Amino acid sequence: MTKLKLGIYWAASCGGCDVSLLEVDEQILDLAAAADIVLWPCAADVKYDDLRKYPDGWIDLVLFNGAIRTQENLELAQLLRKKARILVAYGSCAHTGGVIGLANLSSREEIFTTLFKDHDPIPTEASQVDGCNLELPQFLNRLQPLDAVVSVDYYIPGCPPPREIISAVFEAVISGKLPEKGTVFASEKNLCDECPRERTEQPIAKIYRPHEIEADPEICLLDQGLICLGPATRGGCGAVCPNANMPCTGCAGPTAGVTDQGAAMLNTIASLIGVGEEGDAVLQDEDAILQEIEDVIGTFYRFSLASSGLGSVCRE
Amino acid sequence: MSDTGGNGYEPKIVAFLCRWCSYAGADLAGVSRLIYPPNVIPMRVNCSGRVDAGMVTEVLAKGADGVLIGGCHPGDCHYVNGNYKTRRRVQLLKAALEQAGVNPERVHLEWISASEGGKFQKTVEGFTKKVQELGPSPVGCDD
Repeated sequence: MTKLKLGIYWAASCGGCDVSLLEVDEQILDLAAAADIVLWPCAADVKYDDLRKYPDGWIDLVLFNGAIRTQENLELAQLLRKKARILVAYGSCAHTGGVIGLANLSSREEIFTTLFKDHDPIPTEASQVDGCNLELPQFLNRLQPLDAVVSVDYYIPGCPPPREIISAVFEAVISGKLPEKGTVFASEKNLCDECPRERTEQPIAKIYRPHEIEADPEICLLDQGLICLGPATRGGCGAVCPNANMPCTGCAGPTAGVTDQGAAMLNTIASLIGVGEEGDAVLQDEDAILQEIEDVIGTFYRFSLASSGLGSVCRE
Repeated sequence: MSDTGGNGYEPKIVAFLCRWCSYAGADLAGVSRLIYPPNVIPMRVNCSGRVDAGMVTEVLAKGADGVLIGGCHPGDCHYVNGNYKTRRRVQLLKAALEQAGVNPERVHLEWISASEGGKFQKTVEGFTKKVQELGPSPVGCDD
C-alpha cells in the first residue's frame, strides 16, 4: 500500500499549531506509519522550488495553519492548493483570521509606524546589499483567512486545535472516510451545549472582566457577568476554558450557518443586559452597563474579525 | 433622483422596519403622498428586535451605505420588549463600528409609530442627507 503524503505549512501564525500536532501523543506514530511527511517547514528543511516541481494534487493532505498576511503566504496558499488533494485550514488563523486578524483595525502604514518608528532601518520590500538585490515578500493591506484566497476542503478550528479534533481528522484521512467538502471538524452546536455549567437565567446587571471576580465554578459565566462567547461559538473542544473557570473567547469560530460571530455575540449580550423591569426608568442604567465593555471588537471579534465585514473596512 | 442637495452622491440605504409600527408608518407616508428621497429600500421585519447586528454588518458589506432601523416607541412593542433589546444592540454595534473605522452614524435607530407618516418622511430625509455626506460605505473593501 502506498503511504499517504502529508504536508504541513505555516503562513502568518505563531507556531502553536505546529506544536499542537504533537498533542495527539502516540497517535502520531500511527500517522507516521500511514503517511510520509513531504513538507513541514517548522520541522524539516524545504525548498519552495522543490515544492513547485511536485505534480499537481501529489500531496494527499495539507494542513495549512496561519493566516494570509504577506505575498509569500498568498503565493504558498495558491501553490499548495494546486499541489494538495485535500487542503485543510488548520487552526483559528487559517479558519477565521484568528487573533492576529485584529491587525485589520489598523492600516498597513499604522502597523509599520508603530512597529518600526524608532528603528532603523525600516524594512523595505526591495533593498540592495553589496550590489545584490534583496526582496522581502510584500506586506498585504489586510489579513485574510485561508478561504478568502483559495478554496478550502475542510476546517479544523481552535487556537490551538484540541487533540480530539486532530485525532478525528487523522482517522478520517487514514481510513479514507472523508466528510463532505466544507465540513468544519467540530460540533454543529454551540459551546453551551457541552458546557456543564448551570444556567440560572440571571440578567446581567454588571459586567466583570475575568481578573475582577472569582467565578463560581458551577454557574454559567454569563449569569455571573463575565462575557463568555460560548453562545456564539462552535463547540467541539469540550468547553475547556469554562471548565477551567475562564470564559470562552471564541477561538472555534461561529456556529454552523452563522458568518458574523462577533455580531451574534453582541446580540446575545444586548439581550442579556437587564437591571430590573425594562422601561424608560432604567435606560440610563443599561447604558452604563454597556459602556463598561471596553474594546468591543477585541471582546466580540477576538478571533473572527478578519472573516467578518468589519474586518474589511477601507482605510485612507 | 432625490432632491437632497449636497454632493450629488446617491446613497443606498436599507431600512429594517417593524411591521406593527414603522412599516405601517412608512405606508401612511405613502398613502398621504408625502415626498421623501427614494434612496431607502424598506425591509419589513416582524419586530425591530428581529434585526440582528449581523444583518446590519452584512448589508453594509454588500453595498448599503447606511442602515435605518425603525421600531415601535418604548413601551409600545407588540412583543413587549423587542425594541429595548434593539436599543441596546444598536448601541453596542455602534461602538463596534466606530472601533472598526466605520462612522457609527451610518446606523440610525428611530421610533416611528403607525400614525407617524410625517416622522417617517422627516427621518428618511434627514438620514439620507447624513449618509450622502458620509459617502460610500467603507465596509467590504477588496483591495
